[in-house]
Amino acid sequence: MILETVVYGDVTLLDLMRIVVILVIAIVIAKGLTLNIKRGLRDKIDKYHIEVITKVVYYGIIVIAVLAVLPILGIKLSGLLVAGGIAGIVLGIASQSVVGNLIAGLFLMIERPMKIGQSVNIAGIAGVVEDIRVISTTLRTFDGLYVRMPNEKVFTTNITNYVEHVARRFEYIVGIRYSDDADKAIGIIQNLNEEHPLTLKSPSSDIFVDNLGDNAVNIIVRLWAPSTEWYGVKKELLWKIKRALEDEGIEIAFPQRTVWFANELRKQELDRSEVSESGSE
Amino acid sequence: MLLVNGAHAFIVSTLCSNSNSAYKCNPSFAKVFIFRNTLEYLARGLMYGYYDIPFGLEESGVVSLSLEKDGENFIYQSVAAGVRVDKIVLARTGHVLINPIEPMHKPKELTSFLLVEFDKTLLVEPERAKKIFITYPIEIGVFISSGTVVEVLDIFTLARQKFTLYGDPRNGVICKYWSSNVYSSLPAVDPLCEGVIELSITNATKEWVKITKAIFNAYGMKMYYNDARVTMKATMKILHGKLAETDFVDAPVEQGMKKSMELYTAKKLTVTSTKFLMGWGL
Repeated sequence: MILETVVYGDVTLLDLMRIVVILVIAIVIAKGLTLNIKRGLRDKIDKYHIEVITKVVYYGIIVIAVLAVLPILGIKLSGLLVAGGIAGIVLGIASQSVVGNLIAGLFLMIERPMKIGQSVNIAGIAGVVEDIRVISTTLRTFDGLYVRMPNEKVFTTNITNYVEHVARRFEYIVGIRYSDDADKAIGIIQNLNEEHPLTLKSPSSDIFVDNLGDNAVNIIVRLWAPSTEWYGVKKELLWKIKRALEDEGIEIAFPQRTVWFANELRKQELDRSEVSESGSE
Repeated sequence: MLLVNGAHAFIVSTLCSNSNSAYKCNPSFAKVFIFRNTLEYLARGLMYGYYDIPFGLEESGVVSLSLEKDGENFIYQSVAAGVRVDKIVLARTGHVLINPIEPMHKPKELTSFLLVEFDKTLLVEPERAKKIFITYPIEIGVFISSGTVVEVLDIFTLARQKFTLYGDPRNGVICKYWSSNVYSSLPAVDPLCEGVIELSITNATKEWVKITKAIFNAYGMKMYYNDARVTMKATMKILHGKLAETDFVDAPVEQGMKKSMELYTAKKLTVTSTKFLMGWGL
Protein backbone atom coordinates (compact mmCIF):
# COMPACT_ATOMS: atom_id res chain seq x y z
CA MET A 1 0.00 0.00 0.00
CA ILE A 2 1.07 3.53 -0.69
CA LEU A 3 0.55 4.59 2.94
CA GLU A 4 3.18 2.14 4.04
CA THR A 5 5.77 3.65 1.78
CA VAL A 6 8.85 4.43 3.84
CA VAL A 7 9.83 8.08 3.68
CA TYR A 8 13.00 7.81 5.75
CA GLY A 9 14.23 5.43 8.43
CA ASP A 10 11.15 3.69 9.86
CA VAL A 11 8.86 6.64 9.15
CA THR A 12 6.12 5.82 6.68
CA LEU A 13 3.70 8.03 4.80
CA LEU A 14 0.99 6.94 7.28
CA ASP A 15 3.17 8.20 10.15
CA LEU A 16 3.52 11.55 8.43
CA MET A 17 -0.24 11.71 8.00
CA ARG A 18 -0.75 10.90 11.70
CA ILE A 19 1.69 13.67 12.60
CA VAL A 20 -0.19 16.16 10.42
CA VAL A 21 -3.53 15.11 11.94
CA ILE A 22 -2.20 15.41 15.52
CA LEU A 23 -0.72 18.85 14.80
CA VAL A 24 -3.93 20.05 13.12
CA ILE A 25 -6.01 18.82 16.07
CA ALA A 26 -3.57 20.54 18.49
CA ILE A 27 -3.85 23.80 16.56
CA VAL A 28 -7.65 23.57 16.56
CA ILE A 29 -7.70 22.87 20.32
CA ALA A 30 -5.21 25.70 20.97
CA LYS A 31 -7.24 28.19 18.91
CA GLY A 32 -10.50 27.15 20.56
CA LEU A 33 -9.02 27.37 24.04
CA THR A 34 -7.40 30.78 23.47
CA LEU A 35 -10.67 32.10 22.05
CA ASN A 36 -12.52 30.97 25.17
CA ILE A 37 -9.83 32.45 27.41
CA LYS A 38 -10.13 35.77 25.56
CA ARG A 39 -13.91 35.76 26.03
CA GLY A 40 -13.71 34.69 29.66
CA LEU A 41 -11.08 37.21 30.74
CA ARG A 42 -12.24 40.10 28.53
CA ASP A 43 -13.88 41.95 31.43
CA LYS A 44 -11.41 40.87 34.07
CA ILE A 45 -7.97 41.82 32.85
CA ASP A 46 -6.58 44.19 30.27
CA LYS A 47 -5.91 43.40 26.62
CA TYR A 48 -2.14 43.23 26.92
CA HIS A 49 -2.24 40.55 29.60
CA ILE A 50 -4.90 38.57 27.77
CA GLU A 51 -2.53 38.49 24.79
CA VAL A 52 0.31 37.18 26.96
CA ILE A 53 -1.83 34.46 28.55
CA THR A 54 -3.35 33.31 25.26
CA LYS A 55 0.08 33.13 23.59
CA VAL A 56 1.48 31.07 26.47
CA VAL A 57 -1.49 28.68 26.26
CA TYR A 58 -1.42 28.49 22.45
CA TYR A 59 2.29 27.79 22.11
CA GLY A 60 2.22 25.50 25.16
CA ILE A 61 -0.31 23.24 23.43
CA ILE A 62 1.69 23.34 20.19
CA VAL A 63 4.91 22.40 22.03
CA ILE A 64 3.14 19.48 23.76
CA ALA A 65 1.80 18.31 20.38
CA VAL A 66 5.27 18.54 18.81
CA LEU A 67 6.73 16.54 21.71
CA ALA A 68 3.98 13.97 21.21
CA VAL A 69 4.79 13.46 17.53
CA LEU A 70 8.57 13.30 17.95
CA PRO A 71 8.56 9.52 18.80
CA ILE A 72 6.60 8.88 15.61
CA LEU A 73 9.46 10.49 13.73
CA GLY A 74 11.84 8.14 15.47
CA ILE A 75 13.23 10.74 17.88
CA LYS A 76 13.38 9.22 21.35
CA LEU A 77 12.44 11.57 24.20
CA SER A 78 14.25 9.66 26.93
CA GLY A 79 17.47 11.48 26.15
CA LEU A 80 15.64 14.75 25.91
CA LEU A 81 13.89 14.04 29.20
CA VAL A 82 17.17 13.50 31.05
CA ALA A 83 18.68 16.64 29.56
CA GLY A 84 15.42 18.52 30.00
CA GLY A 85 15.13 17.33 33.60
CA ILE A 86 18.57 18.64 34.52
CA ALA A 87 17.96 21.84 32.62
CA GLY A 88 14.56 22.10 34.36
CA ILE A 89 16.12 21.83 37.81
CA VAL A 90 18.70 24.48 36.97
CA LEU A 91 16.13 26.77 35.40
CA GLY A 92 13.67 26.09 38.23
CA ILE A 93 16.16 27.17 40.89
CA ALA A 94 17.29 30.14 38.84
CA SER A 95 13.80 31.31 38.02
CA GLN A 96 12.13 30.55 41.34
CA SER A 97 11.36 34.19 42.12
CA VAL A 98 10.34 34.90 38.54
CA VAL A 99 7.84 32.03 38.57
CA GLY A 100 6.60 33.11 42.01
CA ASN A 101 6.05 36.64 40.71
CA LEU A 102 4.38 35.27 37.57
CA ILE A 103 1.93 33.15 39.53
CA ALA A 104 1.28 36.02 41.99
CA GLY A 105 0.66 38.28 38.98
CA LEU A 106 -1.87 35.85 37.55
CA PHE A 107 -3.67 35.67 40.89
CA LEU A 108 -3.64 39.47 41.15
CA MET A 109 -5.25 39.67 37.71
CA ILE A 110 -7.94 37.23 38.74
CA GLU A 111 -8.57 38.60 42.25
CA ARG A 112 -8.25 42.25 41.12
CA PRO A 113 -7.79 44.02 44.47
CA MET A 114 -6.96 47.17 42.49
CA LYS A 115 -7.28 48.57 39.01
CA ILE A 116 -5.04 50.78 36.91
CA GLY A 117 -5.57 54.42 37.89
CA GLN A 118 -6.77 53.73 41.43
CA SER A 119 -5.14 55.26 44.50
CA VAL A 120 -3.72 52.55 46.74
CA ASN A 121 -1.27 51.90 49.54
CA ILE A 122 0.84 48.77 49.14
CA ALA A 123 3.26 47.87 51.92
CA GLY A 124 3.33 51.47 53.12
CA ILE A 125 3.85 52.98 49.66
CA ALA A 126 0.93 55.13 48.59
CA GLY A 127 0.30 56.12 45.01
CA VAL A 128 -1.66 55.61 41.83
CA VAL A 129 -1.52 52.21 40.09
CA GLU A 130 0.24 52.76 36.77
CA ASP A 131 0.33 49.19 35.54
CA ILE A 132 -0.23 45.61 36.69
CA ARG A 133 2.08 43.40 34.63
CA VAL A 134 2.62 39.67 34.78
CA ILE A 135 5.79 39.98 36.86
CA SER A 136 5.48 43.35 38.58
CA THR A 137 3.15 46.17 39.52
CA THR A 138 4.13 49.79 39.09
CA LEU A 139 2.94 52.71 41.17
CA ARG A 140 3.29 56.46 40.73
CA THR A 141 3.60 57.84 44.24
CA PHE A 142 1.85 61.08 45.11
CA ASP A 143 5.32 62.68 44.98
CA GLY A 144 5.52 61.63 41.34
CA LEU A 145 8.06 58.83 41.88
CA TYR A 146 8.06 55.58 39.87
CA VAL A 147 7.92 52.50 42.10
CA ARG A 148 8.13 48.96 40.73
CA MET A 149 6.99 46.24 43.09
CA PRO A 150 7.36 42.50 42.45
CA ASN A 151 3.95 40.85 42.29
CA GLU A 152 4.90 38.30 44.93
CA LYS A 153 5.34 41.14 47.44
CA VAL A 154 2.14 42.86 46.29
CA PHE A 155 0.18 39.64 46.61
CA THR A 156 1.42 38.77 50.09
CA THR A 157 1.16 42.21 51.67
CA ASN A 158 -1.72 44.43 52.80
CA ILE A 159 -3.27 46.50 50.03
CA THR A 160 -5.37 49.51 50.97
CA ASN A 161 -7.46 50.66 48.04
CA TYR A 162 -8.60 54.22 48.71
CA VAL A 163 -11.16 54.40 45.93
CA GLU A 164 -12.55 50.88 45.55
CA HIS A 165 -15.67 51.87 47.45
CA VAL A 166 -17.68 54.73 45.99
CA ALA A 167 -17.82 56.77 49.19
CA ARG A 168 -15.62 57.22 52.23
CA ARG A 169 -15.68 59.05 55.52
CA PHE A 170 -13.19 61.58 56.84
CA GLU A 171 -13.07 63.44 60.12
CA TYR A 172 -11.81 66.50 61.94
CA ILE A 173 -11.51 67.26 65.62
CA VAL A 174 -12.42 70.88 66.29
CA GLY A 175 -11.51 72.16 69.75
CA ILE A 176 -13.47 75.19 71.00
CA ARG A 177 -13.19 77.14 74.25
CA TYR A 178 -15.11 76.06 77.33
CA SER A 179 -16.84 79.43 77.33
CA ASP A 180 -18.29 78.85 73.82
CA ASP A 181 -21.65 77.27 73.01
CA ALA A 182 -20.94 73.78 71.64
CA ASP A 183 -24.50 73.33 70.31
CA LYS A 184 -24.16 76.52 68.30
CA ALA A 185 -20.79 75.37 66.96
CA ILE A 186 -22.27 72.03 65.93
CA GLY A 187 -25.10 73.87 64.13
CA ILE A 188 -22.62 76.06 62.22
CA ILE A 189 -20.58 73.05 61.13
CA GLN A 190 -23.76 71.19 60.13
CA ASN A 191 -24.83 74.15 57.98
CA LEU A 192 -21.47 74.16 56.21
CA ASN A 193 -21.88 70.45 55.57
CA GLU A 194 -25.37 70.98 54.15
CA GLU A 195 -24.19 73.77 51.87
CA HIS A 196 -21.16 71.94 50.50
CA PRO A 197 -22.20 70.09 47.33
CA LEU A 198 -19.61 67.33 47.61
CA THR A 199 -20.28 66.17 51.15
CA LEU A 200 -22.92 63.48 50.96
CA LYS A 201 -26.47 63.86 52.21
CA SER A 202 -26.46 60.13 52.94
CA PRO A 203 -24.73 58.48 54.81
CA SER A 204 -25.49 61.28 57.22
CA SER A 205 -22.79 63.27 58.93
CA ASP A 206 -21.93 62.72 62.57
CA ILE A 207 -21.02 65.86 64.54
CA PHE A 208 -20.88 65.76 68.33
CA VAL A 209 -18.91 66.72 71.42
CA ASP A 210 -16.44 63.89 71.68
CA ASN A 211 -14.61 64.77 74.85
CA LEU A 212 -13.89 67.54 77.35
CA GLY A 213 -10.18 68.00 76.81
CA ASP A 214 -7.56 69.70 78.95
CA ASN A 215 -7.75 72.88 76.95
CA ALA A 216 -10.82 72.61 74.74
CA VAL A 217 -14.22 71.10 74.19
CA ASN A 218 -13.46 68.71 71.36
CA ILE A 219 -16.11 68.39 68.67
CA ILE A 220 -15.67 65.47 66.32
CA VAL A 221 -16.85 66.05 62.74
CA ARG A 222 -17.39 62.96 60.58
CA LEU A 223 -18.43 63.58 57.00
CA TRP A 224 -18.89 61.38 53.93
CA ALA A 225 -17.76 62.27 50.42
CA PRO A 226 -17.33 60.47 47.09
CA SER A 227 -14.05 58.52 47.23
CA THR A 228 -12.67 60.44 44.28
CA GLU A 229 -13.35 63.80 45.94
CA TRP A 230 -12.81 63.34 49.67
CA TYR A 231 -9.29 64.74 49.85
CA GLY A 232 -10.20 68.00 48.12
CA VAL A 233 -13.29 68.37 50.30
CA LYS A 234 -11.28 67.68 53.44
CA LYS A 235 -8.71 70.31 52.52
CA GLU A 236 -11.37 72.87 51.73
CA LEU A 237 -13.77 72.44 54.63
CA LEU A 238 -11.50 72.72 57.66
CA TRP A 239 -10.58 76.33 57.03
CA LYS A 240 -14.20 77.16 56.23
CA ILE A 241 -15.24 75.67 59.57
CA LYS A 242 -12.63 77.73 61.39
CA ARG A 243 -13.72 80.94 59.70
CA ALA A 244 -17.44 80.27 60.14
CA LEU A 245 -16.97 79.60 63.85
CA GLU A 246 -14.91 82.74 64.32
CA ASP A 247 -17.51 84.80 62.46
CA GLU A 248 -20.00 83.69 65.12
CA GLY A 249 -17.65 84.53 67.98
CA ILE A 250 -16.58 80.94 68.63
CA GLU A 251 -12.84 80.54 68.83
CA ILE A 252 -10.60 77.57 68.37
CA ALA A 253 -9.03 76.88 71.76
CA PHE A 254 -5.27 76.76 72.19
CA PRO A 255 -3.34 75.07 74.99
CA GLN A 256 -3.24 77.22 78.14
CA ARG A 257 -2.75 76.60 81.84
CA THR A 258 -3.91 78.66 84.82
CA VAL A 259 -1.49 78.43 87.72
CA TRP A 260 -2.71 79.04 91.29
CA PHE A 261 -0.09 79.58 93.97
CA ALA A 262 -0.71 77.87 97.28
CA ASN A 263 1.53 80.45 99.04
CA GLU A 264 1.75 84.07 97.89
CA LEU A 265 4.96 85.16 96.33
CA ARG A 266 7.50 86.90 98.58
CA LYS A 267 7.47 89.97 96.33
CA GLN A 268 3.72 90.37 96.62
CA GLU A 269 4.05 90.17 100.40
CA LEU A 270 6.72 92.91 100.34
CA ASP A 271 4.60 95.09 98.09
CA ARG A 272 1.67 94.80 100.44
CA SER A 273 3.77 95.59 103.49
CA GLU A 274 5.19 98.67 101.71
CA VAL A 275 1.70 99.86 100.87
CA SER A 276 0.51 99.37 104.45
CA GLU A 277 3.58 101.19 105.80
CA SER A 278 3.11 104.20 103.52
CA GLY A 279 -0.54 104.27 104.53
CA SER A 280 0.27 104.44 108.24
CA GLU A 281 2.68 107.36 107.73
CA MET B 1 -42.77 93.77 32.01
CA LEU B 2 -40.82 96.97 32.25
CA LEU B 3 -39.16 98.75 29.35
CA VAL B 4 -35.67 100.00 30.10
CA ASN B 5 -32.70 101.36 28.22
CA GLY B 6 -34.48 102.66 25.15
CA ALA B 7 -35.63 100.37 22.39
CA HIS B 8 -33.09 97.58 22.84
CA ALA B 9 -33.77 96.17 26.24
CA PHE B 10 -36.56 95.47 28.64
CA ILE B 11 -37.02 93.51 31.78
CA VAL B 12 -39.33 90.69 32.61
CA SER B 13 -39.69 89.16 36.04
CA THR B 14 -40.43 85.56 36.70
CA LEU B 15 -41.42 83.86 39.90
CA CYS B 16 -39.22 81.58 41.92
CA SER B 17 -41.56 79.33 43.81
CA ASN B 18 -40.89 76.62 46.38
CA SER B 19 -37.88 78.38 47.74
CA ASN B 20 -38.51 77.09 51.25
CA SER B 21 -36.82 73.76 50.71
CA ALA B 22 -33.14 73.37 51.54
CA TYR B 23 -32.15 72.28 48.02
CA LYS B 24 -34.23 74.60 45.89
CA CYS B 25 -33.10 77.57 43.89
CA ASN B 26 -31.32 80.19 45.83
CA PRO B 27 -34.16 82.53 46.88
CA SER B 28 -31.87 85.54 46.65
CA PHE B 29 -31.71 85.14 42.88
CA ALA B 30 -33.81 87.88 41.32
CA LYS B 31 -35.43 86.64 38.14
CA VAL B 32 -34.98 89.59 35.86
CA PHE B 33 -33.94 89.36 32.23
CA ILE B 34 -32.63 92.05 29.98
CA PHE B 35 -32.68 91.07 26.34
CA ARG B 36 -30.69 93.28 24.03
CA ASN B 37 -33.06 92.67 21.24
CA THR B 38 -36.70 93.30 22.08
CA LEU B 39 -37.92 91.14 19.24
CA GLU B 40 -35.94 88.21 20.56
CA TYR B 41 -37.81 88.36 23.83
CA LEU B 42 -41.19 88.74 22.16
CA ALA B 43 -40.44 85.67 20.09
CA ARG B 44 -39.56 83.38 22.97
CA GLY B 45 -40.50 84.81 26.36
CA LEU B 46 -37.67 83.08 28.20
CA MET B 47 -33.95 82.73 27.58
CA TYR B 48 -34.34 79.22 26.12
CA GLY B 49 -34.16 78.94 22.35
CA TYR B 50 -31.97 79.78 19.34
CA TYR B 51 -29.95 82.94 18.88
CA ASP B 52 -27.97 84.16 15.90
CA ILE B 53 -24.50 85.24 16.89
CA PRO B 54 -23.48 87.80 17.99
CA PHE B 55 -25.97 87.97 20.83
CA GLY B 56 -26.20 88.94 24.47
CA LEU B 57 -28.64 88.58 27.33
CA GLU B 58 -28.55 89.29 31.01
CA GLU B 59 -30.43 88.21 34.07
CA SER B 60 -29.86 90.83 36.69
CA GLY B 61 -27.43 89.58 39.30
CA VAL B 62 -27.75 85.95 38.25
CA VAL B 63 -27.00 85.20 34.60
CA SER B 64 -25.22 87.20 31.95
CA LEU B 65 -24.42 85.66 28.57
CA SER B 66 -22.83 87.21 25.52
CA LEU B 67 -21.12 86.14 22.36
CA GLU B 68 -19.69 89.32 20.91
CA LYS B 69 -17.67 89.95 17.76
CA ASP B 70 -14.00 90.59 18.46
CA GLY B 71 -12.14 91.25 15.22
CA GLU B 72 -12.31 88.06 13.17
CA ASN B 73 -13.49 85.94 16.13
CA PHE B 74 -16.09 85.93 18.88
CA ILE B 75 -15.68 86.29 22.61
CA TYR B 76 -18.03 84.23 24.74
CA GLN B 77 -18.57 85.37 28.27
CA SER B 78 -20.99 84.09 30.86
CA VAL B 79 -21.53 84.91 34.49
CA ALA B 80 -23.97 82.58 36.23
CA ALA B 81 -24.51 82.41 39.99
CA GLY B 82 -21.21 84.20 40.49
CA VAL B 83 -19.14 81.92 38.23
CA ARG B 84 -17.54 83.55 35.21
CA VAL B 85 -16.57 81.68 32.03
CA ASP B 86 -14.61 83.22 29.14
CA LYS B 87 -14.00 81.52 25.81
CA ILE B 88 -12.82 82.53 22.37
CA VAL B 89 -14.88 81.14 19.51
CA LEU B 90 -13.05 80.88 16.21
CA ALA B 91 -15.96 80.98 13.80
CA ARG B 92 -17.37 83.16 11.04
CA THR B 93 -21.00 82.69 11.90
CA GLY B 94 -23.29 80.24 13.64
CA HIS B 95 -26.18 79.78 16.01
CA VAL B 96 -26.41 79.42 19.73
CA LEU B 97 -28.98 77.22 21.44
CA ILE B 98 -29.77 77.67 25.10
CA ASN B 99 -31.90 74.99 26.69
CA PRO B 100 -32.28 72.91 29.87
CA ILE B 101 -30.11 69.79 30.04
CA GLU B 102 -29.61 66.81 32.32
CA PRO B 103 -28.59 68.03 35.81
CA MET B 104 -25.48 65.91 36.07
CA HIS B 105 -22.58 68.17 35.13
CA LYS B 106 -22.25 70.70 37.94
CA PRO B 107 -20.31 71.20 40.13
CA LYS B 108 -18.55 68.07 38.83
CA GLU B 109 -19.60 65.27 36.53
CA LEU B 110 -19.43 62.52 39.16
CA THR B 111 -22.47 60.44 38.30
CA SER B 112 -25.27 59.93 35.84
CA PHE B 113 -27.88 59.20 38.51
CA LEU B 114 -30.37 61.58 40.06
CA LEU B 115 -32.02 60.77 43.39
CA VAL B 116 -35.19 62.69 44.16
CA GLU B 117 -36.26 62.35 47.77
CA PHE B 118 -39.95 62.96 48.44
CA ASP B 119 -40.95 65.25 51.28
CA LYS B 120 -43.64 62.78 52.30
CA THR B 121 -43.70 58.98 52.10
CA LEU B 122 -45.98 57.61 49.40
CA LEU B 123 -48.10 54.53 50.05
CA VAL B 124 -49.11 52.79 46.85
CA GLU B 125 -52.07 50.45 46.66
CA PRO B 126 -51.44 46.87 45.38
CA GLU B 127 -51.76 46.35 41.61
CA ARG B 128 -52.48 50.02 41.02
CA ALA B 129 -51.00 52.71 38.76
CA LYS B 130 -50.92 56.35 39.87
CA LYS B 131 -49.47 59.55 38.49
CA ILE B 132 -47.66 62.17 40.60
CA PHE B 133 -45.57 65.24 39.88
CA ILE B 134 -42.20 65.93 41.48
CA THR B 135 -39.53 68.53 40.82
CA TYR B 136 -35.90 68.08 39.80
CA PRO B 137 -32.95 70.45 39.37
CA ILE B 138 -31.98 71.57 35.91
CA GLU B 139 -28.78 72.74 34.33
CA ILE B 140 -28.69 75.07 31.38
CA GLY B 141 -26.63 74.18 28.35
CA VAL B 142 -25.31 76.66 25.84
CA PHE B 143 -24.66 74.96 22.50
CA ILE B 144 -23.02 76.44 19.45
CA SER B 145 -23.72 75.08 16.01
CA SER B 146 -22.26 75.52 12.59
CA GLY B 147 -24.32 73.78 9.95
CA THR B 148 -25.40 70.50 11.51
CA VAL B 149 -22.41 70.19 13.84
CA VAL B 150 -23.18 71.07 17.45
CA GLU B 151 -20.74 71.62 20.32
CA VAL B 152 -21.25 72.44 23.99
CA LEU B 153 -20.12 75.98 24.71
CA ASP B 154 -21.03 76.26 28.37
CA ILE B 155 -23.07 74.69 31.15
CA PHE B 156 -24.33 76.48 34.25
CA THR B 157 -26.96 75.98 36.90
CA LEU B 158 -28.95 78.11 39.30
CA ALA B 159 -30.07 75.12 41.36
CA ARG B 160 -28.52 74.17 44.68
CA GLN B 161 -26.09 71.26 44.38
CA LYS B 162 -25.79 68.20 46.60
CA PHE B 163 -24.73 64.59 46.21
CA THR B 164 -25.78 61.51 48.10
CA LEU B 165 -25.12 57.79 48.21
CA TYR B 166 -27.80 55.28 47.27
CA GLY B 167 -26.99 51.88 48.71
CA ASP B 168 -23.94 51.05 50.76
CA PRO B 169 -20.42 52.43 50.27
CA ARG B 170 -19.21 49.15 48.74
CA ASN B 171 -21.85 48.53 46.10
CA GLY B 172 -23.96 51.70 46.07
CA VAL B 173 -24.00 54.54 43.58
CA ILE B 174 -23.28 58.22 44.01
CA CYS B 175 -26.32 60.24 42.96
CA LYS B 176 -27.15 63.88 42.49
CA TYR B 177 -29.51 64.73 45.34
CA TRP B 178 -32.72 66.71 45.18
CA SER B 179 -35.56 67.07 47.65
CA SER B 180 -39.02 67.53 46.20
CA ASN B 181 -42.57 68.06 47.30
CA VAL B 182 -45.07 65.61 45.81
CA TYR B 183 -47.83 67.21 43.74
CA SER B 184 -50.99 65.79 42.28
CA SER B 185 -51.02 68.30 39.43
CA LEU B 186 -48.41 70.24 37.49
CA PRO B 187 -46.83 72.69 39.95
CA ALA B 188 -45.60 76.17 39.06
CA VAL B 189 -41.81 76.21 39.35
CA ASP B 190 -39.00 78.44 38.18
CA PRO B 191 -38.15 77.07 34.70
CA LEU B 192 -34.56 78.31 34.97
CA CYS B 193 -33.95 76.34 38.10
CA GLU B 194 -36.36 73.43 38.44
CA GLY B 195 -38.19 71.09 36.14
CA VAL B 196 -41.19 68.87 36.75
CA ILE B 197 -41.26 65.09 36.35
CA GLU B 198 -44.59 63.47 35.61
CA LEU B 199 -43.98 60.15 37.34
CA SER B 200 -46.28 57.23 36.62
CA ILE B 201 -45.95 54.73 39.45
CA THR B 202 -47.15 51.18 38.87
CA ASN B 203 -47.32 48.83 41.81
CA ALA B 204 -47.16 45.42 40.18
CA THR B 205 -47.10 43.61 43.52
CA LYS B 206 -49.96 42.35 45.65
CA GLU B 207 -48.76 44.36 48.66
CA TRP B 208 -48.94 47.98 49.75
CA VAL B 209 -45.59 49.60 49.02
CA LYS B 210 -43.94 52.64 50.64
CA ILE B 211 -41.88 54.94 48.45
CA THR B 212 -39.65 57.72 49.75
CA LYS B 213 -37.44 58.33 46.76
CA ALA B 214 -36.92 57.80 43.04
CA ILE B 215 -33.61 57.34 41.25
CA PHE B 216 -33.26 58.12 37.57
CA ASN B 217 -30.56 57.46 35.00
CA ALA B 218 -29.72 60.74 33.29
CA TYR B 219 -28.86 58.90 30.07
CA GLY B 220 -32.57 58.38 29.54
CA MET B 221 -33.79 61.88 30.28
CA LYS B 222 -36.05 63.40 27.64
CA MET B 223 -36.66 67.02 28.54
CA TYR B 224 -39.25 69.33 27.02
CA TYR B 225 -39.80 73.00 27.73
CA ASN B 226 -42.07 75.93 27.05
CA ASP B 227 -42.28 79.43 28.45
CA ALA B 228 -43.70 78.27 31.75
CA ARG B 229 -41.89 75.08 32.67
CA VAL B 230 -39.39 72.35 31.90
CA THR B 231 -40.75 68.82 32.08
CA MET B 232 -39.99 65.12 31.70
CA LYS B 233 -42.15 62.01 31.75
CA ALA B 234 -40.90 59.05 33.77
CA THR B 235 -42.15 55.70 34.93
CA MET B 236 -41.53 53.69 38.07
CA LYS B 237 -42.53 50.04 38.07
CA ILE B 238 -42.48 48.47 41.53
CA LEU B 239 -41.41 44.88 41.11
CA HIS B 240 -41.53 43.97 44.79
CA GLY B 241 -41.42 45.70 48.17
CA LYS B 242 -37.77 46.78 47.83
CA LEU B 243 -37.22 46.75 44.08
CA ALA B 244 -38.39 49.12 41.39
CA GLU B 245 -37.34 50.10 37.89
CA THR B 246 -37.39 53.65 36.59
CA ASP B 247 -37.27 54.80 33.00
CA PHE B 248 -38.23 57.79 30.88
CA VAL B 249 -40.87 58.32 28.23
CA ASP B 250 -39.97 60.44 25.23
CA ALA B 251 -43.08 62.65 25.23
CA PRO B 252 -43.97 66.16 26.40
CA VAL B 253 -46.17 66.67 29.44
CA GLU B 254 -48.06 69.50 27.72
CA GLN B 255 -48.95 70.08 24.11
CA GLY B 256 -46.66 72.35 22.10
CA MET B 257 -43.55 71.92 24.24
CA LYS B 258 -40.16 72.01 22.53
CA LYS B 259 -37.72 69.18 23.00
CA SER B 260 -34.42 70.02 24.68
CA MET B 261 -31.18 69.03 23.08
CA GLU B 262 -29.81 66.35 25.40
CA LEU B 263 -26.18 66.84 26.27
CA TYR B 264 -25.38 63.17 25.84
CA THR B 265 -26.68 63.50 22.27
CA ALA B 266 -24.49 66.54 21.70
CA LYS B 267 -21.51 64.69 23.13
CA LYS B 268 -22.26 61.72 20.83
CA LEU B 269 -22.12 59.29 23.75
CA THR B 270 -23.32 55.78 23.18
CA VAL B 271 -26.10 55.17 25.68
CA THR B 272 -26.33 51.55 26.71
CA SER B 273 -29.25 51.76 29.15
CA THR B 274 -31.73 54.42 30.10
CA LYS B 275 -33.26 52.49 33.01
CA PHE B 276 -32.31 52.32 36.67
CA LEU B 277 -33.04 49.38 38.92
CA MET B 278 -33.64 50.57 42.49
CA GLY B 279 -32.30 47.59 44.38
CA TRP B 280 -31.36 49.16 47.72
CA GLY B 281 -34.79 50.17 48.88
CA LEU B 282 -37.58 52.49 47.87
